[in-house]
Amino acid sequence: MILLQSLNSSRDFLPILLMFIVAAGFVSFVMVVTQWLGPKHKSKVKADSFECGIEQIGNARSPFSIKYFLVAILFVLFDVEVIFMYPWAVNFKSLGAIGMFEMFTFIAFLLIGFFYILKKGALKWD
Amino acid sequence: MNELLTLTGLGLFSMIAEIFNFRKAIFPVIVLGLLGLLGLCYMDWGSYNSTVTHFSMMKVDNFSIAFTSVLTATALFWFMMSRSFFEDQTSMSDHFSLVLFALTGAFCLTSFTNITMLFLGVEVLSLPVYVLTGSRKRDVASNEASFKYFLMGSFASAVFLFGTAFIYGATGSFNLENIATYLSTQPQLSPLFLVGLLLMLSAMAFKVGAAPFHFWTPDVYEGAPTIVTAFMSTIVKTAAVAAFFRLFYLSFSGIHGEYADIIWAMAALTMVVGNVIAAAQNNVKRILAYSSVGHAGFMLITILVMNDFAAKSLLYYTAAYSAAGIAAFLVLYLVGSANNGETPLNAFDGLVKRNPIMAGTMTMALLSMAGIPPLAGFFAKYFIFVSAVENGYIGLVVIAILSSLVGVYYYFKIIIAMFFGKPDNLPTYFLTPIHRFLLLFVAAIIVLTGLFPDFVMGLMTI
Repeated sequence: MILLQSLNSSRDFLPILLMFIVAAGFVSFVMVVTQWLGPKHKSKVKADSFECGIEQIGNARSPFSIKYFLVAILFVLFDVEVIFMYPWAVNFKSLGAIGMFEMFTFIAFLLIGFFYILKKGALKWD
Repeated sequence: MNELLTLTGLGLFSMIAEIFNFRKAIFPVIVLGLLGLLGLCYMDWGSYNSTVTHFSMMKVDNFSIAFTSVLTATALFWFMMSRSFFEDQTSMSDHFSLVLFALTGAFCLTSFTNITMLFLGVEVLSLPVYVLTGSRKRDVASNEASFKYFLMGSFASAVFLFGTAFIYGATGSFNLENIATYLSTQPQLSPLFLVGLLLMLSAMAFKVGAAPFHFWTPDVYEGAPTIVTAFMSTIVKTAAVAAFFRLFYLSFSGIHGEYADIIWAMAALTMVVGNVIAAAQNNVKRILAYSSVGHAGFMLITILVMNDFAAKSLLYYTAAYSAAGIAAFLVLYLVGSANNGETPLNAFDGLVKRNPIMAGTMTMALLSMAGIPPLAGFFAKYFIFVSAVENGYIGLVVIAILSSLVGVYYYFKIIIAMFFGKPDNLPTYFLTPIHRFLLLFVAAIIVLTGLFPDFVMGLMTI
């Protein structure tokens, strides 16, 4: 499949241009309409930043414990790796036994990584 | 495939070995594993030339086996050299597993047949090296080097992906063979493809450290711990150049005329910039960093020539350069660790009186890098020049010879300091048995590969 040989006249890009116009138009339309229709009440409470409904205390730029970052990074890591299982599950039948074995290898790697993290104490909070 | 499994298995082993109190076993297991890997390379050599495996992702041919052997041997020396450095640190197993995973990436880089695999190899090689660069956690220079390398490297990876996207758009395939077929059937190249080619060329030049994409090299090489610099300037460079060559050899060699001028200019610029700036440095680590930029320029000539003889001479050049690099950086590391990590030129004053083995091997390595016969570096340059002259790049060879003359100047600056400098208030060195063995062994390799160049060249015959 050669994508770009059929796309050499500018007419072929017309749908994309239309899409751009519609997208930009919708955004500006909605912004103008909300400004125009919406009621305006300005108060200190309204201008405050929303923090779970609790009154905010102090500055937002205070140092956080590095542990939060570690947990967040590890979460993202494992979360992303689980995504690989969706395309695998969809193609499970056509991949056959080899596909299953490959996924077991993958999960084994993942588990070794998880084990390493646990033993290194990356998830210990104290 | 077996090579890949061995490397990954070794990496996983050394990652979890410390948890199970196998800390003492890590080093012997890694050495045995790498020796086993060399054995696997020997068995696989010449046995399957044309089998494309893993859904047309990889092909373990003689090119990849030869380069993997060079990489594995270099890695073996590297582990012997760095054991004492990492044993002082708490996280030895982490460092060793990172290096082994980087080697896995290097193996992918020598055996890919698909751009996806090339990208994976580049990333698997680069990511551990970013971390290793910053492995002196309390050192600001190390952190800065790591951060710089990471930012620039990920930028280069993005450029690479951008180029890949363009090439996929033009050819409809990631497979190098399909791209080559597409190029041979196309009477007129689409400008999209040329943009993609240029972007990929830039990204690969960055990974190799070729001018004008070399600016990260001296800073990163200087900031990183010397042991890691040794790894970067030997293994990472060899793998990156091999990947560069393989990519262009397998897929783009049909349209050689389209990019030949760019690589010509790049090679000339790299050789001149690397060698001339190195001559102005006073820190030995920076001299070696800029000289490694210069060496990348010589290696680029093989990509310009692009035939079987060029592949052979590239293999020989990387082998000679890796051996000399390991020796030079080991001496640099020993000198630096007795001098608070600083390696100014006058730290080498009178080294021959303080430790003759270190001074002798360093001289050998520097002479080899300078290209003095009969050492390995001379024949490495000679073969590349021969292949270039045969293909009519005489102007480039003149530039190469002139810049390697500049190289002789700064290599001799170090040698003169070692032999004629006055060693006032400088420490004498006592080598551990493993370092003494390594220095003598690498010196022997530098001499022997120079005396028998046909052996290394012959590894490549198909």
